Amino acid sequence: MNPTEATRLKESEPAATITDRSLAAWEIVSVVSSVLIAEWILSASAGRSKLIVAIPMTLAFVLIIYSHVLRGETARQLGLRLDNFLPALRLLLLPMMVISGIALLIGFLSGARLDFFRWHADRLIVFQLALGFGWGFLQQYVLQSFMNRRAQTIWGQGAVSVLVTAAIFSVLHFPNPWLMVITFVGGVVWAFVYQRQPNLLALALSHGVMTWVLVSALPPSALNHLRIGLKYFG
Amino acid sequence: MNSKARARLIHLLISKSIIEALLIGGVAVAFFFATTNPYFRGVLDAADQTSVTGWAVDESRPYTRVEVQLFIDDSFAATTAADQFRPDVHEARRAEDDWHGFVFTTPRLAAGKHEARVYAVHSNSSGARKTLQLIGKPYRFSVE
Repeated sequence: MNPTEATRLKESEPAATITDRSLAAWEIVSVVSSVLIAEWILSASAGRSKLIVAIPMTLAFVLIIYSHVLRGETARQLGLRLDNFLPALRLLLLPMMVISGIALLIGFLSGARLDFFRWHADRLIVFQLALGFGWGFLQQYVLQSFMNRRAQTIWGQGAVSVLVTAAIFSVLHFPNPWLMVITFVGGVVWAFVYQRQPNLLALALSHGVMTWVLVSALPPSALNHLRIGLKYFG
Repeated sequence: MNSKARARLIHLLISKSIIEALLIGGVAVAFFFATTNPYFRGVLDAADQTSVTGWAVDESRPYTRVEVQLFIDDSFAATTAADQFRPDVHEARRAEDDWHGFVFTTPRLAAGKHEARVYAVHSNSSGARKTLQLIGKPYRFSVE
């Protein structure tokens, strides 16, 4: 074996033993572990400056973006597009109305006061919605453009990958019980819609609006200020 | 995905895991030093139905007085400073001066067996977190 062949063989060795599905599973576990490290270890041990929390999150985003590049995924494939915005929104509209109706009913039955300023009491509603859209976009990007797509690499398009994506989203909101239920339901809807009409803008809009409606309608004690991880207990 | 891209992704995944493991290790070490003072020394000498006595020293700051807390049967009972006259501790070269003793008045207890524990209070550098470290060994005593 000449040196060139040996180098080529050495480079291809680790890749040859790991299938595409295993690699996708490893990627999912890696990003989930980064979020859990941030939620459960670093945010609790960090001082006033939460900069340390940015380390695993940055690593996760580096992995996600590099993975897109290496897999040759385009912005359009990931859902950064406008052509299917309205079809995606149409798919989201009915579940959003149903969930909003249920949330309003639960809020009414539990005696909670409907307060559209509860999320950020000192800010304009426009700011609340903009913040919700931005935060929702980030979450939907990681959840759908990465998790959902990798889940589809493993299990293909359909119920299993939708449920796995929703379960991951729910687990990341542990130990907030009501938020886990809500994120699982929302995760199923969003993952289902993404598999049919991959559009991150529509999903981000839905995410922002639903968060605002749920926080406004449900009793504050139920959502515990949307706290997750170790912060839930603080 | 071709094998070269796959190999790169694997290397990135491994590198990311190593960095995160080092980060968690660093946080664990920092957490240990923020919540633990390895220089606390002391003994719970005696406990009975009238008092609980002993001494406590912070060897890293030998002239300061350690704050100590008494727990009886796992319940908080009292807090005080270890600033009582104990020349024997100084003579034994366990402290730099004579004032590191503590004396608690035992609260009223039901008849039977009890256990006293004394903890030194450790504050982190910012004072935002306080942790307790057991001084000496738990002391079992009876009340008639």
